[in-house]
Amino acid sequence: MEIRIKGLTRDFYSEGKRIRALDHVDLAIPANQIFTLLGPSGCGKTTLLRCIVGLESPDSGEIVIGDEIVLSKERSIFVPPEKRGLGMVFQTYAIWPHMNVFDNVAYPLKTRNTPMEEIRTRVAKTLAFVQLTGFENRPSTKLSGGQQQRVALARALVAEPKVILFDEPLSNLDAKLREETRKELRRFLTELKITAVYVTHDRVEALALSDRIAVMRAGKIVEVGDPKKIYFRSDSRFVADFIGRANLIKGRVVTLEGSHAVIDTEIGTIVGLNSQRIAPGQEAMLCVRPEFIKLAATDEAGGRNVFRGKVETLLFTGEAYEGEIRIGDTPVTTTISPTVNVVEGGELYLSFDPDHCFLLPA
Amino acid sequence: MGKRSPLTPTLIVIVGLLTISPVLMLLVGSFSEGFGTFGNFTVDKYVEAYTDPELTVVLWNTLIFTLGSAAVATLLALFLSYTNTRTNIPFKFFFGIISIVPMMIPHILFAVSWVLLLNPSNGILNRLLMDLFGLKTALFNIYSLPGMILVEGLLDLPIAYLIIAPAMSAFDVSLEESSKVCGASPLRTLTRVTLPVLRPAILASVILVIVRCIASFAVPSVIGMPGRIYVLATHIYRIISTGFAADYGKAAAVGMSALAASILLIYLYRYLTSESGKYVTISGRGFKPALIDLRLSRYPLMGVIGLLSFVLIVLPVMVLFYTSMLPYVMVPTAKAFSQMNWKNWTEVLRDPISLLALRNSLTLGVVGATLGVILSILVSYVIVKVRTTASGILESLSFLSFSFPGIVIGVGFMWFFVRTPLYATIWALLIGYIATYLPYGIRPLSSAFVQIHSHLEESSRVCGASAFATLRRIVIPLLIPGILSGWILMATMFVRELTLSVVLSRPGSEVLAVQILRFAEDGLWGRLSALGIIMIFASSFLVIAASILGRKLANREALEM
Repeated sequence: MEIRIKGLTRDFYSEGKRIRALDHVDLAIPANQIFTLLGPSGCGKTTLLRCIVGLESPDSGEIVIGDEIVLSKERSIFVPPEKRGLGMVFQTYAIWPHMNVFDNVAYPLKTRNTPMEEIRTRVAKTLAFVQLTGFENRPSTKLSGGQQQRVALARALVAEPKVILFDEPLSNLDAKLREETRKELRRFLTELKITAVYVTHDRVEALALSDRIAVMRAGKIVEVGDPKKIYFRSDSRFVADFIGRANLIKGRVVTLEGSHAVIDTEIGTIVGLNSQRIAPGQEAMLCVRPEFIKLAATDEAGGRNVFRGKVETLLFTGEAYEGEIRIGDTPVTTTISPTVNVVEGGELYLSFDPDHCFLLPA
Repeated sequence: MGKRSPLTPTLIVIVGLLTISPVLMLLVGSFSEGFGTFGNFTVDKYVEAYTDPELTVVLWNTLIFTLGSAAVATLLALFLSYTNTRTNIPFKFFFGIISIVPMMIPHILFAVSWVLLLNPSNGILNRLLMDLFGLKTALFNIYSLPGMILVEGLLDLPIAYLIIAPAMSAFDVSLEESSKVCGASPLRTLTRVTLPVLRPAILASVILVIVRCIASFAVPSVIGMPGRIYVLATHIYRIISTGFAADYGKAAAVGMSALAASILLIYLYRYLTSESGKYVTISGRGFKPALIDLRLSRYPLMGVIGLLSFVLIVLPVMVLFYTSMLPYVMVPTAKAFSQMNWKNWTEVLRDPISLLALRNSLTLGVVGATLGVILSILVSYVIVKVRTTASGILESLSFLSFSFPGIVIGVGFMWFFVRTPLYATIWALLIGYIATYLPYGIRPLSSAFVQIHSHLEESSRVCGASAFATLRRIVIPLLIPGILSGWILMATMFVRELTLSVVLSRPGSEVLAVQILRFAEDGLWGRLSALGIIMIFASSFLVIAASILGRKLANREALEM
């Protein structure tokens, strides 16, 4: 079900100071997609999620889920969380320690006065879906982290909610389990075709899981788009920097060449994608990710987007070298294939892929 | 939500009334001319109290008594927790028993049982030893400072153990190992590394035991007074209960210094325990300390632990039961066993005052613990979940009574109640009990609240349960273990309460422990023992009933929808 948010504002007061956790947030979350709220800690993403689910009451604004207005400050509407018919997976999982797995999962159905027979079949079905068949009578205190996570998911799904919300559900798992669970979660959610709102500060998690990502900063939505758009052609310098490692080089636009532009920077002129149509003469920031700066053969010297640099440091990380290379006075980070023969202090040529250099407003 | 609710201010007023008013009244009383005559302020009582030549002796006795008991309790606790966590001594469950079960035996009965064993005229153990070695005089005299220190030290051992044992098991053994690698001998490692790292826990234990000894009344009254050894608590008792005119003003003047010392020590204790995080290193990596193999010496050590549990738990109950069956105290011989009968029991059960005391104590236990736990639930909720500046004030207020010496605060309450209709009723006792023992209810409940993460409640709301249903299905079932231990702790303390009652109890509001003290003063050991065992049964009955009820409630609330 679709979620529409208008003008949502929420202030917190701490030691006499006002902190604006949400600052006039407008957002449309499309139905049946995995929608991620991504941002650094304190950006307001969890507050936004808690407003949607009804655990937090904003100071102003409106939230509509499907056709139902669940919150409108103007019209004094506030539907309490238990009446919103949503499902949520908490960061701590919030598995009730005094109940076993069955009672935990059956809880949302019991609150809806579902007949016992139906509860049994639906809990069994949901537990089978999250691959926990046979765990019904296990005390919830005797579950591993991954199992708790799946019980929490089953509990959120069992009543067939309109929307399911996730608050950093993988952050309590260790790295290896986190990767597996991420894949599993992606499979579960695509199979279900359900609207999911997912909060995380982990950019890899956001890119891997989402259909759409909204990046937040200081209580505001900075940019919304699908993972590739956010990663390759972000509109904002903050997003470009936050979503992955990026080299940011300042310059001034010289000429336009179709969808590309030539930009004059301190290392020389570079051709890059100009999707924001920054006019010639204006200041701009060129953004290029390390994997799109490649080693160039010596005979390419003098060619377009090719620069000569000196290797400052070279870190071997297994999959690749991570090199810091100085072009003139400007340091640039690149990923170099581990089989290439380079040494610290050596000189080399670098080529910037023009389709993956993109211009941002300065 | 509910940030501006009237709950916090209301609780501050209630807890403030309970804890601040007796202190204020004690202060006012110490400057007043006569009991119940406010307004005529004078410093005469202070002059009188502090120029009394007796006071020097009393203070000296108090110092020796408190420091000695603290040393006995802490050293024993160190020994026990070290052997438990660091050696391969068998039957480790004994340590759990030693640390918990003695709390079930009322202090006054423990003291009485030692008097029965070791008094110089007809102490059972003394008699046995005299017969065995053909001695003319008794070997031990319990009516002495060493006697008091031994008994009080054993009584406070559980407290010391509960402070030191966690610090000992959280101790990172690699600190010791690195000292050994550096070439230090085991003794040097012990004195230079192990003990200094444990210092905050050791100090905390010493301070807490000292505070309890200042407040202690059972041992000084049952063992100290017959030997004419007075400490502050019994000195105050002497001022208000002997002679023709009880002088509550002078008692208040003396009490002020005991109270001041206790409050000071408790704040020092709080400071130390909050700082201790810096010292106690918990590596959290699931380290297993290498256990010291005791080899053959484990059996004698085992014997020491066994003897300690016997002396702490079995012996007092045995001695009391044995004495309750005899017409007078005698050495267990065939003659003694042939004279056994239930006469003391029937006399106690026919004695109207003893029966009234039993009824009063049970009422105070059940009603007092119930009210006390309700107050503790609300206070803990504000301290743990609301967390505003005001809740910090509430926390300090409710912690204050932890330092109250019962008899001193009893004198304060006397000044408070004298003008109210509550004077000389059991409601005065009820209010006094709750005020003094509030921290014992708050502690288990605040740790229960800490465990209820807000997500557990929120998740229930999202699952479709209303706020009320969430309270019933999630919060209360999770609180029940805390409620239960708070209730049991308060109920057992109220059933046996002595120090406050000795001041507040009047004809008509007698309680068990005070009646037992009267029997001790009159030398009616047989009846005393019978009533003592009834008292142990009464508090065990409350514990068992509460546990059964609690378990049933927890299951029903959680699962019935």
